[in-house]
Amino acid sequence: MTLTQAVRSTAPGKTTPKRAGRTRSEAKRAAPAFYWMVWPAVIAFAAFHTVPVIVGIFFSFTNYAGYGAWNFVGISNYLNLFRDDRVLQAYGFSFLFAIVATILTNAISLAIALGLNAKIKARNFWRGVYFVPYILAILVIGYVFQFFFSNSLPKILAGIPLFRDNILTNDTWAWTAIVVLAVWQGCAFAIIIYLSGLQTIPAEMYEAASLDGASAWRQFRSITFPLIGAFFTINVVLSLKGFLQVFDPIVALTNGGPGTSTESVTLLIFRGGFSGGEFAYQTANAVIFFIVITVVSLFQFRVLQRREADF
Amino acid sequence: MSNRSRPLRRVAAVVAAGAVITLLGGCASSADSEVTTLNFFQFKGEALEDFDEMIADFEAKNPDIRIRQNQVADADTLIRTLLVKDRVPDIITLNANGNFGRLAQAGVFHDFSDEPVLKTINPAVQEILADLGTYGDEVNGLGYVNNANGVIYNQDIFEEQGLEVPETWDEFVAVCDALVEAGITPFYGTLADSWTGIPSWNALGAYPAQDDFFDKLRAQGEDVGPDSEVSFQKDFGEVMDQQLTLFSYMQEGYRGRTYDDGNAAFANGESAMLLQGIWATNPIKQVNPDIRMGIFPYPGTDDPDDRLLVSGVDVVFTMGKDNPKQEAAMRFIEYAFQKDVIEDFAASQNMVPSVVGAELSDDAALQSVKPYFDDGRITGFIDHQVPPSIPLIPIDQEFLFNGDAESALAALDNEWRKVAARTIPVTTGDDE
Repeated sequence: MTLTQAVRSTAPGKTTPKRAGRTRSEAKRAAPAFYWMVWPAVIAFAAFHTVPVIVGIFFSFTNYAGYGAWNFVGISNYLNLFRDDRVLQAYGFSFLFAIVATILTNAISLAIALGLNAKIKARNFWRGVYFVPYILAILVIGYVFQFFFSNSLPKILAGIPLFRDNILTNDTWAWTAIVVLAVWQGCAFAIIIYLSGLQTIPAEMYEAASLDGASAWRQFRSITFPLIGAFFTINVVLSLKGFLQVFDPIVALTNGGPGTSTESVTLLIFRGGFSGGEFAYQTANAVIFFIVITVVSLFQFRVLQRREADF
Repeated sequence: MSNRSRPLRRVAAVVAAGAVITLLGGCASSADSEVTTLNFFQFKGEALEDFDEMIADFEAKNPDIRIRQNQVADADTLIRTLLVKDRVPDIITLNANGNFGRLAQAGVFHDFSDEPVLKTINPAVQEILADLGTYGDEVNGLGYVNNANGVIYNQDIFEEQGLEVPETWDEFVAVCDALVEAGITPFYGTLADSWTGIPSWNALGAYPAQDDFFDKLRAQGEDVGPDSEVSFQKDFGEVMDQQLTLFSYMQEGYRGRTYDDGNAAFANGESAMLLQGIWATNPIKQVNPDIRMGIFPYPGTDDPDDRLLVSGVDVVFTMGKDNPKQEAAMRFIEYAFQKDVIEDFAASQNMVPSVVGAELSDDAALQSVKPYFDDGRITGFIDHQVPPSIPLIPIDQEFLFNGDAESALAALDNEWRKVAARTIPVTTGDDE
């Protein structure tokens, strides 16, 4: 807060004496109100995000347990991470989960968005229905789904051993149940973005295409999809980033189990760092994970943006 | 199991931390030479009122001492914070888990070796504390009340079926078979709460863990494996087989049931036994106050005389090293260990008092474990010896789901090796 005040008091102080001679640059400058809108966010972001991140990176080079004394240990935390098969398994799980969930979320939401954009009856009602999962708290849905998987489904599909024995306790397939929950909830927001994308496409394009005799599939392939390319990019990048950091659906459904078979990187960091007493070690893991996510997101933007079309 | 109430404790931790710091500040500034005010760090929420009564009685007899009880949430974290800041409470109670052992090893607690009160305590209880860790040869805590980790059984069902309490492993399996034949579910499984697999693992694992198993395991560190002197793969095979055998006698759908479901089902006579500890008897009685139940130790051996009851020190008394108010604090601790005082407390908490000769309450479950305490045939929880960064509970739960003992034991050895390799002890600093 003191920083904001300092900024405000110095800014007019500098400019007042020179005001007469510098009318040109004065006109170019934005009104102070705009700076007022920007500064609080920057300061809050620095105080609550950037500073803790830097402190965290610092402690990843120590053997700090979260309390008490510590020493510098160099990069040994990072070296041990690459030798820890539990960590590697968590990365494997997170990527498998994120890729499958991203593909499903985008395919399903694009299909639903096309339907919701068409001239169907009670269109606003359907749009509302598909947005509901986004409003509900994830832990509430999580426990509903947990009841569904462990109590309802075993009775409904009693003939299939996988479901009868509660899929959440199957170490090979428990992750698919988490995908179902995550996709069910993730679709709501993706649909909204695709809908807004679809509404930017002028209707004349479709008229022209249908006059030329283009089929519905051809229209989708050559008009709709290229023109919502930017929306596709943002959806894929956001959902992959979000699904890589999956945490709450796992806590609600399996809590990482059975065993450690559905332990994501974020869950491992939380567990090992707080209840496991290996604060510094898991902070090193968090630093690596941060870098991985940044690289993956930048790579996606590069690849996907090349494919976007404009009109 | 103190683990269960952790989320709640964490919520209140900040509030409690604030309260303690304020109180400590108050202590320092009060210059009253007549009355000594002692700050009492108390971790057990259920015991708040019992300690309040004890303190009131003590203050009535000792007008020169005032005691302020601070019932704290998330005591393990808070006590570390206080120790780091050199704001050590005058009297401390803690749950004697692995965390207590690590603090004791750091040499932050008083040495009770020469205190006369030590001689009144059951040596087997103090042995459990010593196994957790001490500073040199010191005695860093006084065990107050103990719990018991055994098989809870419905005495009415056992009598109706003409069954005796099993004393060997074969008898145990025979009892289960007889119950199945009579159409009664032997155990009610609750694996939806993953930790409920651990009480039976602790009890059965206590047998191979005798003879300093964990000391040897720690000494081997990075070299633990199937070929080392001791390892999970080498010594725990039978434990896993036994645990899996017990879980094969569970009711249908035990994978989806929770701890609370199990207590309610057992209280209503849906199963003859429950693989839990004495902490479950209170919730069971809330469902069915008339139930008659007892506890027997897991008979993991073929010789009835080798049976051991796994018991943890639920409340341990200690205080900081070089406490200026040591003499006053010791007076309260000695008062707490008087027979009638500890008897009242233990009866109210449904625990076993540590003082030799102190009577247990009439509770049938407590009376059934009394002989093991009298004979000193008790041993500690082995999961307190496993570093918390090893995912013991998930590994055991997965094993109970898929029955693959070899991979579960290999996973435990592997985690032990990795934790040993990456744990770099702090070499400087003032608190550890």
